[in-house]
Amino acid sequence: MFNKLEQVKHLPIGFGEVARYVIVPGDPNRIPIISKNLENVEFQGQEREFNASRGTYKGVEVSVVSTGIGCPSTAIAVEELVHIGAEVFIRIGTSGSVDGSAKKGDIFIATGAVRDDGTSKQYIPIEFPAIASFEVVEHLINASKNLNIKTKVGICQSKDSFFGEISPEKMPVSPYLDYKWNAWQKGGVGASEMEAATLFILSQIRNVKAGAILALETSDEETIQNMTKVVLESIYYMEMEKKNQ
Amino acid sequence: MQLKKGDISDFVILPGDPGRVEFIAEHFDKAELVAENREYKTMTGEYKGRPVTVTSTGIGCPSTAIAVEELANVGASTFVRLGTSGAMQDYTRVGEKVIATGAVRFEGTSVQYMPIEFPAVASHDMVLALKNSAIKNKVAHHLGIVQSKDSFYGQHNPENMPIADELKQKWNAWVKGGVLCSEMEAATIFVVGSYRKVRTGAVLLVAGDQAKGESLTKEEYVENMSESVKMILDSSLDIKVEK
Repeated sequence: MFNKLEQVKHLPIGFGEVARYVIVPGDPNRIPIISKNLENVEFQGQEREFNASRGTYKGVEVSVVSTGIGCPSTAIAVEELVHIGAEVFIRIGTSGSVDGSAKKGDIFIATGAVRDDGTSKQYIPIEFPAIASFEVVEHLINASKNLNIKTKVGICQSKDSFFGEISPEKMPVSPYLDYKWNAWQKGGVGASEMEAATLFILSQIRNVKAGAILALETSDEETIQNMTKVVLESIYYMEMEKKNQ
Repeated sequence: MQLKKGDISDFVILPGDPGRVEFIAEHFDKAELVAENREYKTMTGEYKGRPVTVTSTGIGCPSTAIAVEELANVGASTFVRLGTSGAMQDYTRVGEKVIATGAVRFEGTSVQYMPIEFPAVASHDMVLALKNSAIKNKVAHHLGIVQSKDSFYGQHNPENMPIADELKQKWNAWVKGGVLCSEMEAATIFVVGSYRKVRTGAVLLVAGDQAKGESLTKEEYVENMSESVKMILDSSLDIKVEK
């Protein structure tokens, strides 16, 4: 796909400019907010919806790179980040409530994602499950316990059409959207978002690790900072575990 | 299945083969036969003071879905499949145990529960308990995705099937996607478990590798199955008993 030494086409960063651990929010404006929790921060620039920074947390190098909204741009970001050396991806995002098990203001750790997106199907047939890396989920749960930040754990839905969720009745395929949404509610889906399925599928295929942490129906700074703290602490645990192996 | 409340414990081990139920129950501290009908044979007992049940599901997702539904109706809240599987990667070797984190839904039953986009995922706390038990018991294991199929001979002799091209194309995609081994029940257990809000997990003993023509001898099979049963029983001690 890429020549070995070829630089990437879309990201503002290249070889030697990415950490092993990358936090991947959707919104480019969230890069400075998340980076407040890092030391030695360097803002590396923005191309299109891809905004990048790098810093350290407890001595561990961490990158923060936005994916833009949706699985198509997320796939480009993840492919290029893997190419230049990233190995662990943790998405920080916002989401809507689905079955009521997680409510407004909750923080949700995804173990898997409903593949209601188009991108992941261009990688592997639909029967294949979109699941987060077990170790990433394990460390996110441990970090949230140790930091005393409450989280819920479960399956999220990744959709392509934001307004198909907000106003399904306006869509020509509204019966289809309603029928599926009803199934996700009965089947135990906790949160609805737009990037996790492709992040999980692509990471599994490229043999890197991935996880996602989502705020339910809020994007206030305190919740984003709490999610960032959990993610950074989990990254620290993963690095310590790697060093001890 | 001819089960009523009180016949079973909250923690149920699910082999496919009814002939394996007694062998599994021999690893309990005590056990008694509580029901036997069709391919479903159920024994309940105790392991280190913890109530445990073993029930066979028969081969395939259709009979497995019935078993999970009926067991959940009479009080089961944790389901751990114990089965055999075929290796799909060079690094999944015969005799190793695969702890499934999720399953490819290449079967017809789970789609009669949930649309195909929904992931067949094992419960995180069950996978963690199995992983910890594997480490404690020094069991050679992998964590990852398995494939659940409906047609055994479609996997073993795809060229004999009218849809050979699709079977081969998908198989290659699963291999490239890092699927560890192939079996026939896990996907439906995970999907039915999600909607019934019960805990699920699966341990698959890699019993053969069709590409390399390798398989366990009968003695190796018994020894490895015994190791897998002990691993699941020890994991049950990490799961809070629900009355």
